[in-house]
Amino acid sequence: MDARNDMLKRLQGRRDGFSLEQPFYTDPDYFKLDMELIWYRDWLFIGHDCELPRPGSFITVQIGDYPVVLVRDQKGNINAFHNSCRHRGSRVCNTDKGTAAKLVCPYHQWTYELDGRLLFARQMAEGFDKSQFGLKPVACESVGGYIFICLADEPADFAPMRTMIEPYLLPHRLREAKVAFESTIVEKGNWKLVWENNRECYHCAGNHPELCKTFPEAPTVTGVQDADSDPEMLSHWAKCEAAGLPSRFRIDPAGQYRATRAPLLRDAVSYTMTGKRAVKKNLSDGVATDRIGSLLLYHYPTTWNHILGDHAVTFRVLPISATETAVTTKWLVHKDAVEGVDYDLAELTHVWTETNGQDRRIVEENAFGILSPAYEPGPYSELHEGGVIQFVDWYARFIGPRLAEDGRPALRSVA
Amino acid sequence: MTDLGLYRHLDQMAPWNDRLQVLEVIGVSDEAPDVKTFTFRSDNQTWFRYKPGQFVTLELPTADGLLMRTYTLSSSPSRPFSIAVTVKAQAGSTGTRWMFDHLRPGSHVKAYGPAGDFSLHSHPAAKYLFISAGSGVTPMMSMLRWLNDCAPWTDVGFVNCARRPEEIIFRKELELLGSRMPGLSLGFMIEERSSREGWFGHMGRIDAIRLPLLAPDFREREIFCCGPDPFMRAVRGMLEAAGFDMARYHQESFAAPLVEEIPAPFASPTGDGAAIPVEAATPIRFSISDVDAACVAGQTVLQTARASGVRIPAACEFGLCGTCKVKKLSGEVEMSHNGGILDHEIEDGFILACCSKPLSALDIEA
Repeated sequence: MDARNDMLKRLQGRRDGFSLEQPFYTDPDYFKLDMELIWYRDWLFIGHDCELPRPGSFITVQIGDYPVVLVRDQKGNINAFHNSCRHRGSRVCNTDKGTAAKLVCPYHQWTYELDGRLLFARQMAEGFDKSQFGLKPVACESVGGYIFICLADEPADFAPMRTMIEPYLLPHRLREAKVAFESTIVEKGNWKLVWENNRECYHCAGNHPELCKTFPEAPTVTGVQDADSDPEMLSHWAKCEAAGLPSRFRIDPAGQYRATRAPLLRDAVSYTMTGKRAVKKNLSDGVATDRIGSLLLYHYPTTWNHILGDHAVTFRVLPISATETAVTTKWLVHKDAVEGVDYDLAELTHVWTETNGQDRRIVEENAFGILSPAYEPGPYSELHEGGVIQFVDWYARFIGPRLAEDGRPALRSVA
Repeated sequence: MTDLGLYRHLDQMAPWNDRLQVLEVIGVSDEAPDVKTFTFRSDNQTWFRYKPGQFVTLELPTADGLLMRTYTLSSSPSRPFSIAVTVKAQAGSTGTRWMFDHLRPGSHVKAYGPAGDFSLHSHPAAKYLFISAGSGVTPMMSMLRWLNDCAPWTDVGFVNCARRPEEIIFRKELELLGSRMPGLSLGFMIEERSSREGWFGHMGRIDAIRLPLLAPDFREREIFCCGPDPFMRAVRGMLEAAGFDMARYHQESFAAPLVEEIPAPFASPTGDGAAIPVEAATPIRFSISDVDAACVAGQTVLQTARASGVRIPAACEFGLCGTCKVKKLSGEVEMSHNGGILDHEIEDGFILACCSKPLSALDIEA
């Protein structure tokens, strides 16, 4: 039986509220289907507008088999391209980030304008039509300082996501922020395990002493269940919305993205060991209110986020293989905040550096145990793991119909 | 051995690639003692586009390694299927001597260029005076041949100085042109008699008395001068003393000047027959390569680097692709790029070598 039918059959036969069967977390063929049917089709968070501060700034990313480059052009637009030269396919940009006046392939110096047009190809035959060999574009959208790309030929409409999420983000002015620090760790576990771990705080008490100093474990905060019956949440939302910050829990009808603003414990205002702010300067000149808690935002399959008054911590998930996932964390502060003056980098990054390390170990132990022939799907806690159930349901709901499609998925190909 | 089937009309051919071209030797001829003309065609069936008076840089693979040598072209762009250099092998010469010993019809050599501003096309005038000594005649010959082909009525005074009569390069061709160009007046001058050829003309060295004899109306002419440095200094001195408008004086030289003490960029100190303009040469230090070079007026940093054997990667060479971006540690340049460098990179001291010309002495990290 081929993997496609196998996966479809297992999805149709899965028990609601239970974890997935082993091959979803371990099988290379399942992984390939995840890539083709989810990762090469859905909108993916890549980075922030502020990482491309001026024309010529670029960042690169690898999505499965696709190298992609994001670059700001002379008009200030952010463009994404397949990072593969139209000459013989070499990667045009081969560093994580940088600035370049033009995108120049290091192999034979084919030179592309920042909008992807091929400007110069040395000594090609007469009649060579440069206009036919521009860099291939990748759909690219920016919302509230977050850049998303989509590899599909016909991306899903981005407008509903923008409409819902943008009001939450805009007051924080992340377009004008700066990345104070970023780290990428590789977790030896399937990308869905990384997400499942993130979607609950059932594990927090036993594993995250640093985070638990400030972040509440209440399932109403972290999950998707019963948030609007929790008086503490309701009063927090009322307070924040009165201050002009959209805060109520909202979720996409398909379950792919949601936003809500959660209070931190007691008088905590930031993710530090003391609960006090890590950055003297507010993240946004437009948000002066203290104790706004954390704006929690996720968008499957690539990002979850915490946006605070003094800084923001953003996360990007990218699968490497069936059993490896890269998690990139970025700490954003006001662009004028000065390291060593307005903030201490070690203090700013301590809680989430520790928490990420703890999560990595948790995910790896989870992945290790799932390899056991004795593993079988187990029941999620309905009280604490509503978020995980929601994630797995989303996954099954998105990939299931795509598995059932006739023929091969419509993939955008690269020359 | 000519394959007639290879013949292509000019309008079927593309101009040669001035960044790097492989040339094939199609002729080697003796002009005078220790002076030969090497004639080349492109091995790529391209035609040669240049200005009469410009120079090319040849990459000579000698036993001691690659030598970059710059030679003015003696050929005329009005005959664009081939180019020629006429070179004198001085005592101690390495590059030119290698050419004498190794280049035969069928040999290949790499070339860059053309470049240089020493051309009547850059300084149009009603009347010209070409003053040269020794193999400084080559750019003059290029310009005169062009005039003969394209504007044979032009008023040209042509003065050439040599040690002995038989050392006058192109003497027969010049005399022939003199009978065909009504406005050409020839003047030769030698230093010493020869037992091989009789001499009825001027003797001695050019000076303030002899110059008006050779070119009575020199004040009305656009003057081009090329020869050894003492020769050019003498000519310049005479003209200055005569109150000549020096804006109308242009010179090119064989070797680094002695007075300014600019390190020899193209020619070995012994003189290699290479003609380089010197008056406006600007020193460029390439710090990583530990090479001191001089940039001729009109040359870019990249051309100077190449002529000095300093390798700077480059591709488009019109300021677009940015491959030749280098750090300028000191000095000022005039840069006319096409978007291949960002403002903040310029602020950080980077330049594109291909489209930067020095405005002052430079220190380049290359």
